[in-house]
Amino acid sequence: MSLLGRRVRGFRLIDLVAAGLLVVLVFGVYLAKTMAGRERSEIARVERQIRQEKTRIRLLQAEVAHLEEPARLEHLSVAYLGLAPVSIKRDVNPDGLADVIRMAANTGRLPDREVAPPKHKILTIDPTRPVPAPVAETGPR
Amino acid sequence: MSLGLQSFGAETISRWLARTMWRLEHAFERARASDKPQDDTRIRIFFVGAVFAAGFLALALGAARAALFADSGRDGGYTPPIGAARSDLVDRNGELLAADLLHYGLYIDPREIWDAAETRRALRAALPNVAPERLERALNEDRRTFLVGGLTPDTRRRVYELGLPGVSFEPEERRVYPLGYTGAHFIGFVDGGGQGLSGAEAAFNDEIHKAAAAGQTTQLSMDLRVQAAAEDELYKGVARFRPKGAVALVINVHTGEILALANYPTFDPNRPGEAPLDARLNRAAAAIYEMGSTFKGFTVAAGLDSGVATPMSTFDARQPFQLGYRTIHDYHATRKVLTLVEVFQHSSNIGTAILAERVGVQRLEGYFKAFGLAEPAKVELVETARPLTPRVWDQDAIASTSFGHGMNVSPLALARAYSSLLNGGKLIPLTIRKTPPDYRPEGPQIIKPRTAETLLQIMRSNVTGGSGKSANVSGLNVGGKTGTGEKYDPAIRGYSHSKQVSSFAAVFPTDGPLDAPRYFVLVLMDEPHPDPETGARPTGGIVAAPVAGRIIERIAPFVGIERRMDTAPFTEIVAGPNDAREEN
Repeated sequence: MSLLGRRVRGFRLIDLVAAGLLVVLVFGVYLAKTMAGRERSEIARVERQIRQEKTRIRLLQAEVAHLEEPARLEHLSVAYLGLAPVSIKRDVNPDGLADVIRMAANTGRLPDREVAPPKHKILTIDPTRPVPAPVAETGPR
Repeated sequence: MSLGLQSFGAETISRWLARTMWRLEHAFERARASDKPQDDTRIRIFFVGAVFAAGFLALALGAARAALFADSGRDGGYTPPIGAARSDLVDRNGELLAADLLHYGLYIDPREIWDAAETRRALRAALPNVAPERLERALNEDRRTFLVGGLTPDTRRRVYELGLPGVSFEPEERRVYPLGYTGAHFIGFVDGGGQGLSGAEAAFNDEIHKAAAAGQTTQLSMDLRVQAAAEDELYKGVARFRPKGAVALVINVHTGEILALANYPTFDPNRPGEAPLDARLNRAAAAIYEMGSTFKGFTVAAGLDSGVATPMSTFDARQPFQLGYRTIHDYHATRKVLTLVEVFQHSSNIGTAILAERVGVQRLEGYFKAFGLAEPAKVELVETARPLTPRVWDQDAIASTSFGHGMNVSPLALARAYSSLLNGGKLIPLTIRKTPPDYRPEGPQIIKPRTAETLLQIMRSNVTGGSGKSANVSGLNVGGKTGTGEKYDPAIRGYSHSKQVSSFAAVFPTDGPLDAPRYFVLVLMDEPHPDPETGARPTGGIVAAPVAGRIIERIAPFVGIERRMDTAPFTEIVAGPNDAREEN
């Protein structure tokens, strides 16, 4: 009797092997599908999260740019802190010191005393709207 | 001939299948006939098992292939990525200027709404900007209808949390300009379909779309710090002199890069539809003006370059000068003989007209055309305007154009021409795109480098001892030329004495070699009013030069210009009273 024709508890070995293979195959397919589905949903979740985070980052970047709008910063720093743009007269590098001292000698004034306290004004108009012309012009025509 | 299953041998296959089935069935019959029923059963079981095995094998292979080799999960996800239709615009230092941001459109499906009154009340409270009629129309439709777009994620969340049935959202990209009006004309804006309509948005429209697809940003030549300083100082000047319009430009003369382009009035590109046309007009590029005396820089350059004059040449400005049909007077009549430097410093129309006559009609026309003044400013902006030039170049024409009348150009065209005078004589295109470091664009040589050096010193002398004194900034060697051009008034069919274009064309620093870093600054005000404090006439020296000086003082650290020894060229050159006879 061939090996395939041998019987185990009344069942032919070949049938048992085939049935076992079938079960393994079905289970394997089920496992593969399930795991792939789980991985797929996990990847989709991470991708979605990345997209949301990217969107949030862009929103925050735009928000930062809006908050750092130069005109707004200038208005706040002048109005609330009394700050002003640094005068060029306060700006010198080591190589230029000799020039500054020579200029001060020419004018007879020390560089530090030359600098007045900042008198920076706040913008008083809305540049998106036309400024009304003065009611009466005092200047010569 | 038709292509059907027969063409692929379907008949052959079906015949083969029928033959096989017949052979199989015959095998069962043979088994029964030979009295071996167990063989019959065995064959049948084997056959059914083989069919099942083949089926499951196919399923397993398909599942494995779907799990391992499917395209889903690649290239950014299972759904199309939320890709921006337009790339971000950033300034030369990477500061964000414009971006596509995720917004939401709100849709209403009345068929799913249970309580229309409650939905109406809740939406009106949450979205006060939506017109009630529009909401009513959407609620009375018999299908899903778009109600409003451009909802921010925050607004969407608030509406979503109302839990209204029949209200749904669709994501949409919307162009956002986080800086508001800052650099509005430089950056431009887009239409509802995401197509650029003005500024860099229109100039680089295709490029911006391509850059978005590649996930890149588009970098402009603008320096946001310079732009902000130029705008701030320009608007402060506007607040004082209340002009109809105003422009400020800052340009790198070696690369042609526009670092700042400010306009007044301006607008918020987030809501361009709400701004009047006048505010959306890019005066720097799309408006043309008779510039007045800033044109004298070109006449002087032509005179120096052609060898007709030197800085020491003298011109008799004691009497009005007749050229063509025009009798030319000086606004600030000096009634004396002036050197070329003094002509520039006093902005003498008489001296300039005499110089123009000496240069000659043909040659001056050639120079003006070589400076690019007879063509639209070469720049990427689509708004760049064509100038108005004399129909015939004759003595009448040069009498006017030599000091900036009879020829209308855009501020950008003027800036381009001046940049070419100040960079060593090379006419280069302007650009709103950031150029690579050490990049020097090619262009025709229009004046000799020596002429450019001399002109720089003459412009400097105009700030140390001429009409541009109020633009001086200690340590930055500012040079410049004032301009006050009377405007043509159609009502009186002549030039108005009360309406003028006042400007100041500045350069800094004027010292150092020709290839040293150098910047051109233009401030222009259209129809400014007299100084409210002093009542002074709003000339270029009164309204534009101080603004230019303040801009220069503020931007010098940003562009890397350091303090240096002040220079005062040509202080010793003064013409004698009898010099005119020798020169004329």
